Amino acid sequence: MHNTLKLTVSHAPFWHNGSSISSKSRNILLVSLLAVVPGCYQYGMAAVGVVTLSIASAIIWELAINFISRRPISVGDGNAAVIGMIFAMMLPATTPWWAVVTGTFFAVVIGKEIFGGIGANPFNPVALAMTIVMLSWGDLFDFNAALVNYSFDFKGVYPLVMSKSFGASAVESFGMIDLLMGKQIGGLGATFGIGLIIAGVYLMLRGFIRWEISVSFIAGIFITAFFFNLMKPELYASPGFHLLTGYTLIAAFFLAPEDATSPVNFIPMLIYGFLGGLLTVMVRNIGVHVDGVLYAVLMINLVHPLVDKIRPKAIGKGV
Amino acid sequence: MNEMVKMVVVLTVLSAASGGVLAGVKKGTASQIEAQQLTFVKGPAIKSILAGSANDPISDRFKIADGELERNFFVGKMNGKASNIAFESYGKGFGGDIGFMVGVNLASGKVIGAAVTTHSETPGMGARAKDDPAFAAQFKGVSIRDKEIKVSKDGGKITAISGATITSRGVCAAVTNAMATYQKLEPQIKEHIKQFDK
Amino acid sequence: MPKTLVQEFTKGLWDEIPPFRLVLGLCPTLGVTTSMENGLGMGLATTFVLVFGNILISMLRNIIPSQVRIACFIIVIATFVTVVELVMQAYTYALFLKLGVFIPLIVVNCIILGRAEAFACKNTIIYSIADGLGMGIGFTLSLGALGAIREVLGSGSLTVWGDLSYSVASVFPSFQPFTFLVRAPGAFICLGLMLCVLNAIGKK
Repeated sequence: MHNTLKLTVSHAPFWHNGSSISSKSRNILLVSLLAVVPGCYQYGMAAVGVVTLSIASAIIWELAINFISRRPISVGDGNAAVIGMIFAMMLPATTPWWAVVTGTFFAVVIGKEIFGGIGANPFNPVALAMTIVMLSWGDLFDFNAALVNYSFDFKGVYPLVMSKSFGASAVESFGMIDLLMGKQIGGLGATFGIGLIIAGVYLMLRGFIRWEISVSFIAGIFITAFFFNLMKPELYASPGFHLLTGYTLIAAFFLAPEDATSPVNFIPMLIYGFLGGLLTVMVRNIGVHVDGVLYAVLMINLVHPLVDKIRPKAIGKGV
Repeated sequence: MNEMVKMVVVLTVLSAASGGVLAGVKKGTASQIEAQQLTFVKGPAIKSILAGSANDPISDRFKIADGELERNFFVGKMNGKASNIAFESYGKGFGGDIGFMVGVNLASGKVIGAAVTTHSETPGMGARAKDDPAFAAQFKGVSIRDKEIKVSKDGGKITAISGATITSRGVCAAVTNAMATYQKLEPQIKEHIKQFDK
Repeated sequence: MPKTLVQEFTKGLWDEIPPFRLVLGLCPTLGVTTSMENGLGMGLATTFVLVFGNILISMLRNIIPSQVRIACFIIVIATFVTVVELVMQAYTYALFLKLGVFIPLIVVNCIILGRAEAFACKNTIIYSIADGLGMGIGFTLSLGALGAIREVLGSGSLTVWGDLSYSVASVFPSFQPFTFLVRAPGAFICLGLMLCVLNAIGKK
């Protein structure tokens, strides 16, 4: 008897950029600070509290589920911390502690670990958790009401609510530069456009996220919003507005390109990203919800296995 | 062949027995079910129309045959006298028939209260006919001996619910029907009501 | 080894508790358990059909030809379901309104047909009663438990029966109901977590 060498090969396609999960997590955590720090500056200690609680509770949930399911401890790869961080970026600074903890439970346990841990989740954990908490406690995430006790040096109204209820003409007062500089209310790490864009570009250049998805997502938003704007400029806001408000940039750089839930071939990636942008603007403009990004991300997560069927023909197979 | 016959016989006997049992149960529970439906579906409307009655209008009811229909009339006693009566009438709304309960004072012939009972109108639009008591309250004081009643758009005096003109017309049609029914059946109603006057 | 009467009864309470071990009858389990009262009411209705269906099928098991047995089972079951529906309409109308379409759907509840096919048509009446009663009570308890969890967390109250109702807000004033759980996806997640917990306990 001799030991045969076992070469286990799982299904193609693969994607590897040469770095490990933990270095990817570290990088994402680091660049997300670009958006979170201005948010914390804006909203003060409350925001810091939400961010730290979110990250800490995500790690604790992961540890707990590791113990319960008797699997190796996986918090070292930093994925739980990333989930906690991105989740916190979308919350208003006033979120109460129990909503944060429930949210990270749904993200880490229901969104990821139940399916077998990192890489096995069918949905983006953060988008899933955020949708669940938003559906349950809508009034906590009504940014106008949640942030009413803060005083800003700019208009304290959630831009998307404005455009939804009063049409595009109401939001003309939001200058593009102001939106880009984070002079709008929203999630604590979702408003500072420049920071998010720098973060996204860095991640794309380093190859931690795939530029095809982010770029096509943004293109999807831009083109769809452009046509809506063309049809009824007084009703539907401009493409730039859609790009810089709500969770658009977070979704483009952090949610949509998540590894396990996005395709890996060139054309599927373009379809996937574009569809996300299209759905986002559709929900915002003709749906009942204020922000469609989360639903769009969940929808394209569902579509991902389907578009992944578009793949190059194997050489030598068929004629 | 024997198998075949057995199959047929067993299935037939079983089906027949089941039908018999069901017919029996249905008959046994019919009156109770009717009472329950009246309490839960129409009860709230009746109670609000005949508010202040000394009796229970749902148990003090009588039926009058009107053509093929059997109409239920609910009696409300005030000061020991059966003076008010409520009955249901239907009109065509946007999503089907609207049931409208009308309360009438027998002496004056004036409507003392009205409310929508059953409807399948659009929530938030036509359904406000039921949810908004101000609409139904407009019918208060209308004489049941009139010919018909219309919304203001058609030259009448009822203000329609905004965005739900068809529903409002349906309710007016129901009241118009109620007028016709009442005028037709008035002698019989007065006959029946005497038994409650004790 | 033939089981005793007690074993036949208790297997429905734990070893083969319908929604969690057999994973049968999930349609009402997911559909009606938005409150404990609904769950218990549905469970009781199902138990009634289960017990009487089992009795009748067990009685007729030697008469029914095997080729048409399913048709016969359906007739028997449908009869009892209609009886339950009428009786509920007559005496517990409020509950009937809440359970709505799920009452007639008991006919196609796989537990009932499953027990008729797997148990009642092969065993004597006494055993069939024990089986039906055990399964029914197990089903009722499962639905009640699931309904209680969803109701307490999802709508912040606990209705025991009729007007006897408690509110979570009176114990924890800052409690805000987690409405996700009373919606349809919440039912799936709640059921999955309960399955998870029961499997973990049962494994030991």
